[in-house]
Amino acid sequence: MTPSLIEQLIEALRCLPGVGPKSAQRMAFHLLQRNRAGARTLAHALAAAVDSIHHCAGCRTLCEAELCKQCSDPARDRSVLCVVESPPDVLAVERATGYKGLYFVLMGHLSPLDGIGPNEIGLDKLAARLDAGGVKEVILATNPTVEGEATAHYISELVRVRGIKPTRIAHGVPVGGELEYVDGGTLSYAFSGRREM
Amino acid sequence: MIRVNNARIHLQPAYVLHQRPYRDSSLLLELFTPEHGRVGLVARGARAAKSRLHGVLQPFQPLLVSWAGRGELATLCGAESHGPLLRLNGQSLISGFYLNELLLRLLTRHDAHPALFDIYRETLPRLVVEEQRALRIFEKHLLKEIGYALVLSHDAESGAPVEPDKLYAYRLEQGPVRYDGADGQGAGLTLRGASLLSLMNEELRDEQSLREIKPLMRAALALYLGGKPLQSRALLINMHKTMNPPKAAQQTDASAEPA
Repeated sequence: MTPSLIEQLIEALRCLPGVGPKSAQRMAFHLLQRNRAGARTLAHALAAAVDSIHHCAGCRTLCEAELCKQCSDPARDRSVLCVVESPPDVLAVERATGYKGLYFVLMGHLSPLDGIGPNEIGLDKLAARLDAGGVKEVILATNPTVEGEATAHYISELVRVRGIKPTRIAHGVPVGGELEYVDGGTLSYAFSGRREM
Repeated sequence: MIRVNNARIHLQPAYVLHQRPYRDSSLLLELFTPEHGRVGLVARGARAAKSRLHGVLQPFQPLLVSWAGRGELATLCGAESHGPLLRLNGQSLISGFYLNELLLRLLTRHDAHPALFDIYRETLPRLVVEEQRALRIFEKHLLKEIGYALVLSHDAESGAPVEPDKLYAYRLEQGPVRYDGADGQGAGLTLRGASLLSLMNEELRDEQSLREIKPLMRAALALYLGGKPLQSRALLINMHKTMNPPKAAQQTDASAEPA
């Protein structure tokens, strides 16, 4: 016997992160009983997004057009490339800094024990982009985790053999933070990365 | 073996071997501890924005860990750092991943290896200064701990002590046999007695010994790792290709084009 439409909907909703059978059921009944218009809008938006959103040809982030907003902006500095792990990282850098260069989004990090190697995070594309010329500096803004460091190191070698300057974002004490409550790892990075003033 | 159900373990020294995201905000951890060996734990809420465990549960960071629960997967109750963060970088970082991968692949859960834990702790900082030597000595101890210690001191056939200036063919799972170069018995693994003794005494200070011991260790470990290749080694080979620009590539055995 095939499952009923309601069962299929509940099962489909479970593909969302953090949604178990109970919340999936609540969502399904909410949409069907109280908000059918919303459900229709959601269905259309989902279908349209899945069909037309893809990876930017320049930086691999998610976008609708051939090139994303940053890559297609003629005012941005094409000689600087900032490498980040995920699309939200692009938004975070855009919001917080006055960075005017371009991005490259890895969509992950090197994770040797999970079998995620250089090609899985698009480093072949990054190499091709560096070979195309014009880039003078690559800013490595991967996360300060062990995997993020490994990724940054790997890319820095990739960058250096091409005669381009790799730089790494600094790690340090958060603004407004108190040393006493900062974790030891961060503090040790902040200490060894101190600057003359 | 008697194991108390719902046991609570307090402040056990530990290292994170591997972590991966689990459900919404949790982590699945593989830890290495002296008294409980390799342990699988769930760290609930460790990936939540406010969690203080973020910076703590990193590989190569010495930790004190408490957990509770039974079965294959217990629950982490607390973790704090136990000593300064070891800063591995670049090549040594990937060698660190290699150590972790070996432990994940070769140790079974809940088998205590206190001696190996100490060796692991001593090996990590040495990856920065004398990587190859540290790796070979760790591999030797690892093989011994899982019950497949290499015979290094005497000829497996005659029982005579290994002599430094003689050549030996190493037969895996048996030991070294005097090699006179005549009957092709070596099948590749030939090395000087001096190299065998150097490994036995954990000296390995000369290039030649290191060069001869490496294939021996690789072959010995391959026996117990099964067919699946080590991911961290693949990454290392890949990185060497990246670092060697095209003109230097023909010196290495890397046949594929460098990235």
